Amino acid sequence: MATQPHSRKRVCYYYDSDIGNYYYGQGHPMKPHRIRMTHNLLLNYGLYRKMEIYRPHKATAEEMTKFHSDDYIRFLRSIRPDNMSEYNKQMQRFNVGEDCPVFDGLYEFCQLSAGGSVAAAVKLNKQASEICINWGGGLHHAKKSEASGFCYVNDIVLGILELLKYHQRVLYIDIDVHHGDGVEEAFYTTDRVMTVSFHKYGEYFPGTGDLRDIGAGKGKYYAVNIPLRDGMDDDAYESIFVPIISKVMETFQPSAVVLQCGADSLTGDRLGCFNLTVKGHGKCVEFVKKYNLPFMMVGGGGYTIRNVSRAWTYETSVALGVEIANELPYNDYFEYFGPDFKLHISPSNMANQNTPEYLEKIKTRLFENLRMLPHAPGVQVLAIPEDAINEDSDNEDKVDKDDRLPQKDLDKRIVPENEFSDSEDEGEGGRRDNRSYKGRKRPRLDKGGEGKEGGEEKVKEESKGDKVSVEQESR
Amino acid sequence: MVLAEKNNENARNGRRSRGPSPNGHVQADSTSEDESSVPVDKIRVGRDYQAVCPELQPENQRKPELLADRALLVWSPTETIAETKLEDYIVLAKDKYGYNGEQALGMLFWHKHDLERAMLDLANFTPFPDEWSVEDKVLFEQAFQFHGKSFHRIRQMLPDKSIASLVKYYYSWKKTRSRTSLMDKQARKLNAPKEDGAPSEGGSENGSNEESDHEDKGEGGACSNCGVVCSVTQVTAKGALCNSCYQHWRRTGLLRPTSGPVAGGPGKRHGGAGGGPLGARHKRRPPRGMFINHDDLAAMASGNTGVTVLRAMDRELDSLQRQIQQNKQNISSLKRKHSDSVEDLRAAGEGQPGRFNARWSNEELLIAVQGVRKYGKDFKSIADAIGNKTEHHVRTFFVNYRKRYNLDTILKEWEMDNGPLPEDVAMADSRSENVDSQDNDVICISPTPVQHEKKKETKNGKMAQMAK
Repeated sequence: MATQPHSRKRVCYYYDSDIGNYYYGQGHPMKPHRIRMTHNLLLNYGLYRKMEIYRPHKATAEEMTKFHSDDYIRFLRSIRPDNMSEYNKQMQRFNVGEDCPVFDGLYEFCQLSAGGSVAAAVKLNKQASEICINWGGGLHHAKKSEASGFCYVNDIVLGILELLKYHQRVLYIDIDVHHGDGVEEAFYTTDRVMTVSFHKYGEYFPGTGDLRDIGAGKGKYYAVNIPLRDGMDDDAYESIFVPIISKVMETFQPSAVVLQCGADSLTGDRLGCFNLTVKGHGKCVEFVKKYNLPFMMVGGGGYTIRNVSRAWTYETSVALGVEIANELPYNDYFEYFGPDFKLHISPSNMANQNTPEYLEKIKTRLFENLRMLPHAPGVQVLAIPEDAINEDSDNEDKVDKDDRLPQKDLDKRIVPENEFSDSEDEGEGGRRDNRSYKGRKRPRLDKGGEGKEGGEEKVKEESKGDKVSVEQESR
Repeated sequence: MVLAEKNNENARNGRRSRGPSPNGHVQADSTSEDESSVPVDKIRVGRDYQAVCPELQPENQRKPELLADRALLVWSPTETIAETKLEDYIVLAKDKYGYNGEQALGMLFWHKHDLERAMLDLANFTPFPDEWSVEDKVLFEQAFQFHGKSFHRIRQMLPDKSIASLVKYYYSWKKTRSRTSLMDKQARKLNAPKEDGAPSEGGSENGSNEESDHEDKGEGGACSNCGVVCSVTQVTAKGALCNSCYQHWRRTGLLRPTSGPVAGGPGKRHGGAGGGPLGARHKRRPPRGMFINHDDLAAMASGNTGVTVLRAMDRELDSLQRQIQQNKQNISSLKRKHSDSVEDLRAAGEGQPGRFNARWSNEELLIAVQGVRKYGKDFKSIADAIGNKTEHHVRTFFVNYRKRYNLDTILKEWEMDNGPLPEDVAMADSRSENVDSQDNDVICISPTPVQHEKKKETKNGKMAQMAK
């Protein structure tokens, strides 16, 4: 892979001045205002005038349903704080109400965030720019028919879907402290998108992102999860980020990259538990940029807003290849950056619970997985049938990763029958969790010797013949 | 019930609370309601979860030029305008017309990067002034006291504002509160000695001292802040206040700034440092460096013009702040630039073990003479130029070799270029100290140079001794 040093890039930046005015609610840690703070800071750093600045159109419902289910988007469009009571059932079904509250202008907020990422992807497709930035995007937890973790509409998935029209393979990298579960799930069964997520794992939201979750069906080995412990610092992060991404680039050879720059992995984040500085966080951007691929940067988490705007401003400067002073310029929100008024922050003295041995172990395991990828998959340029599910878990059974799972872990994976069905109207829309959930889980159970039961259910439920064949194969 | 539970959890820990524990799952089986309240903890597979990837368009069918941008271009970079010119333009737009940087660039872009035309057009499109009137702001603050950040509720008190506008205002108002609380602290500091046992000053940063617990009605008398005599005063932590001072204090947590002849005389107040016994007694000295201009206050009181004054001051503040930060940036970039080279140079000198050497080589003597030509009697600079000599060494050299190298002539030349030496003749051994001090009197206006001169003087004195 070409790793040329920095060269000047055409950078496009997507921002809507209204985005800072949405408010999740009192006490809610997610503050869209941070995007405006970032904007103001890079305006006053003089970075603004070095980029093409776009005000994105609001994404239409039609655009959003390229990924999301129709009734979910319809729900988002119609719900308001003043009519919430009429939507009780749907709110439960779509997981809206608590972490993901109904606030004023919710739908517009989603439209702006998604509109920015889609427009950015289109721009890259047109080859009219090398790097596109949308700090209003990066809402990586949103599912097809479900809000989650402060995210309602998954702008990243929408952006990647747009990129896939012109790019055979797209790489998604996620440096948010939380697992990028929404994006991983959306592309769990395709080999055209590889999702790589670095995140805190273990008693932490959203609970997914185990090292052993590697994708399914055709997408097997195309989901890479790097579970980390508390206190990751710059050096440790680099020591795992660089080799993994290098390896991924080498084996997957994407033609476009999307980087989710969630800033909750910074030190001192209100919800995060890592110890990265702005520099360490920015190094990831720097490293990915060196590959000179069409590059989309989106925001994400980040709940200590002064640090979020610091990081994203710095990362904008990295994208531009411009050096900026450590002293912050005066700006509309200058007072937020006291007492030092500097761009860079120092790490705390928290202990890094990721030992070099632990990181090494993860790395080795992931390298093993990556080795399973067909090298340089340049063959499938022909149109690929979309329904990757057809081949679902075809190879999954051949893999014996699961053999290593101790029984305890297997037990963890058994989920009560009612896990997702406690919400009424099972028959409706996108909430047929049971069936598909089993579909995913069954192969593991097979290995654990408990496959029988799972399998039987499966046969009953399965509508697609291919799944049955999987069944037989695994016996 | 589940819902309530979750709510609690969320309120406590925010997002983290949602984290189902992967390790705890073994036990979690038993508490299935807990389990069911966690909506997602596995990647699910199925048509209901995955995205449907679009087909890759074959290269020959792609028409990228036909793709709509789906966004409005509001600025594109230009090479044709020099950075400094652009900077000047923005500053002009900001300071003179009240634009923000984005609007200024927007104007320039609208004129297709034609700087001249944009500049001319600036005056025609001055941005709308702040749509927040003083009443609105006061109302907002009051509403905020009641409702906190429930913008819906706040909006009931400000029905003509949108939630978006409230949120926006909130964030720009929030930052000013830190400023206020700084003043608060100052006021408290000044008050502290007087009311040492009294814990009444409950003022925390969020201005909770607005709802003070000591609202006893006092007797009639003079307001301790503005000196106005009134029938009823409010007894507060800041002393007995007249109604208007009291209202002001309640609202802002600060004493109403006063000036004018009423109390203490303006002269004292303006000085700030002067203070006087009166000021000290009433604790109404503003923090150091802060001045209250009577005219401005009068202007403010007289209605609309006040707003203009305030706005102009705000703008001035902004531009000064901007300059300060700009200067800081420059300083640090210069520092960085030079620290490298300085280190390089220093490393060579410091590497030598015997750094200072009282012996003069011919070469060093030559440098020293050239040094005198260049720096006059700035011995320190000459010593730095030579490297292994101290200021003291150079001074000795100067005295010893004065005749031999005809240093006086050299000094004269230097004076021709740089003007007379400050204490010129003073260094001559024949001079008396009287003359020196006279010189000082003439030359020194401000206190700092006096010290400087004194130093020189003693140096000269020493020198005189040495010469002897």
